[in-house]
Amino acid sequence: MSAPSCLRCLVRPSAGVTVSSLPRSSPLAVARAAPFSTTTANLRPKKEVQTGGAPKGHVRSGKMLQLGKFKKGKAGDRGRTPAPGERKAYRKRITLSNDNAIPVPWLTDLGPADLANPANTARIMALPTEVQDQLRASEAFKPTQCWGMFRKPAVLVRKETIDMANRMQNAADKRHTLRLVVSGDKLTGKSLMVLQAMAHAHLNNWVVIHIPEVQELTTACTEYAPIPNTDPVQYMQPVYVLKLLQAIRRANEGVLSKILTVSAHPELSQSMPPNTPLLALAGAAKEPDAAWPVFQALWSELTAQGANRPPILLSADGLAHMMKVSDYRSPAFDLIHSHDLALVRLFADALGGGLRLPSGGAVIAATTRSNAPRTPSMELALAQREAEANKGLGGPSSSGAVEVPQRDPFFRGYDDRVEAVLRSVQVLRVRGVDKLEARALMEYWAASGMLRATVDEKAVTEKWALSGGGVPGEMERAALLTARI
Amino acid sequence: MPVSIFGAAFHEQKLVKKALESFYALGPQTSARILAKYCIHPRAKIGTLPPKTVTALTAELSTMTIESDAKKILHDNIKRLRDMGTYRGRRHAMNLPVRGQRTRNQIETARKLNKVERRG
Repeated sequence: MSAPSCLRCLVRPSAGVTVSSLPRSSPLAVARAAPFSTTTANLRPKKEVQTGGAPKGHVRSGKMLQLGKFKKGKAGDRGRTPAPGERKAYRKRITLSNDNAIPVPWLTDLGPADLANPANTARIMALPTEVQDQLRASEAFKPTQCWGMFRKPAVLVRKETIDMANRMQNAADKRHTLRLVVSGDKLTGKSLMVLQAMAHAHLNNWVVIHIPEVQELTTACTEYAPIPNTDPVQYMQPVYVLKLLQAIRRANEGVLSKILTVSAHPELSQSMPPNTPLLALAGAAKEPDAAWPVFQALWSELTAQGANRPPILLSADGLAHMMKVSDYRSPAFDLIHSHDLALVRLFADALGGGLRLPSGGAVIAATTRSNAPRTPSMELALAQREAEANKGLGGPSSSGAVEVPQRDPFFRGYDDRVEAVLRSVQVLRVRGVDKLEARALMEYWAASGMLRATVDEKAVTEKWALSGGGVPGEMERAALLTARI
Repeated sequence: MPVSIFGAAFHEQKLVKKALESFYALGPQTSARILAKYCIHPRAKIGTLPPKTVTALTAELSTMTIESDAKKILHDNIKRLRDMGTYRGRRHAMNLPVRGQRTRNQIETARKLNKVERRG
């Protein structure tokens, strides 16, 4: 007995007609009666059985168990294989806008003084288009950050941001150099602080030189060569410096085109008469061999005494990689200390105060927590600086007894050069945001249509608590990225 | 365009380290030292080397006992054992295990390798 509709296929015979009465012999008719069927393969007329002559292939071909190892003809069409570098480019792509997100009407663009204005605390502000381009040129955006979810990139102005921007502004006004290490736990927004510092600098027409990932310099993945006539020997990294020069050129086009050189640079292959725009000087390097001399010339022009130069921001992300022995080897097969790599040394000298910026500016480095080698000296030095700063303020506790951590006498892995660099830096510890800032964040997410919940006291408190006390990255995970996980 | 180092042609995309280690009797230790000597970073590809470095590498390799020189030393050592009439020499000549292993079964490797003109 057969069911009124075939259980094994979706061919539905009309009422009263049993499946067995279907015209099996004429499959075309069936196909016409039921255009959708999963059993067309069964209904297809069997191939003519070969009569006479040996059958092709194995007698039991198609019925034998085929183990993976012995499977023949794995070919199949796998489609187009990705071109070299294509997958990496896809992995590292940066999307800064999402046309599906709702534009937020009350979002205002950042102005030159906005990041230093305490009235803007706990406000979301958008990055102006030209600053976006500048930041993108110097690779300040990272693929792990959630820029691609919103209509336009915007940042939360935090208390720490205001603090940092004010320190930068004070230093620039007094022609001092702010030397700052941004430290903090995972996902607290250290890289975003650097980005905000860069945005502030760009908005105020500073010259910004940014090293997006210090590990690219010290993990022996870019070319290096000894610089002649240096003792102890220093090493230049021509390919990276060329890339950096191009980034500097694109990011600071407006500022550099207005500054003129004060001295001729006979050491360069191209003639650079005085009063050439620095933009032309930065563009003088066309190939890696010329990059380091051009960078040196550019740096000497930017820090020329007496000339009216704009403030400089030197920023880097991933400080720990700068504070270790690099993976490079000298011709004598000794490991090279990172501070013997010329570009890193320049940054480290500026951070340590050995290299003054005559027109003022800031040297800002952020640590990372997820990808950092162990650097006991750096950790110790940062903890010491922080404790000293707290001591100066009277300490967080009422007793005021802040212990400055000391070296472990039984541990050998300390590095004196690192401690010398970090002896007098300021440390900005970034923690989780407070509830007001958390609320601003969540309201922005909701206004963009990315958070489908009412933002009230309860929701904010819940996400704030879930994220370990308002760690912004964790808040994103708890509220924004839930669908992705 | 393939680049020639010490008479062997290598593809541009090949790692310099791997290219060096493709020579007989040149292993990771030696290749790391050669790379350091010429300031080539470990992840460098053949295509990025300037021609000057390529010729320097060839010159460096030609001073080392690698490839046929190293093989000759190996063959000489086995030949010396054989000429002295030692047990090890005889075992080499007979394609049998040299170091006292049993020969009832599992001596394919010895059969393959133990020769007076040993492969490598």
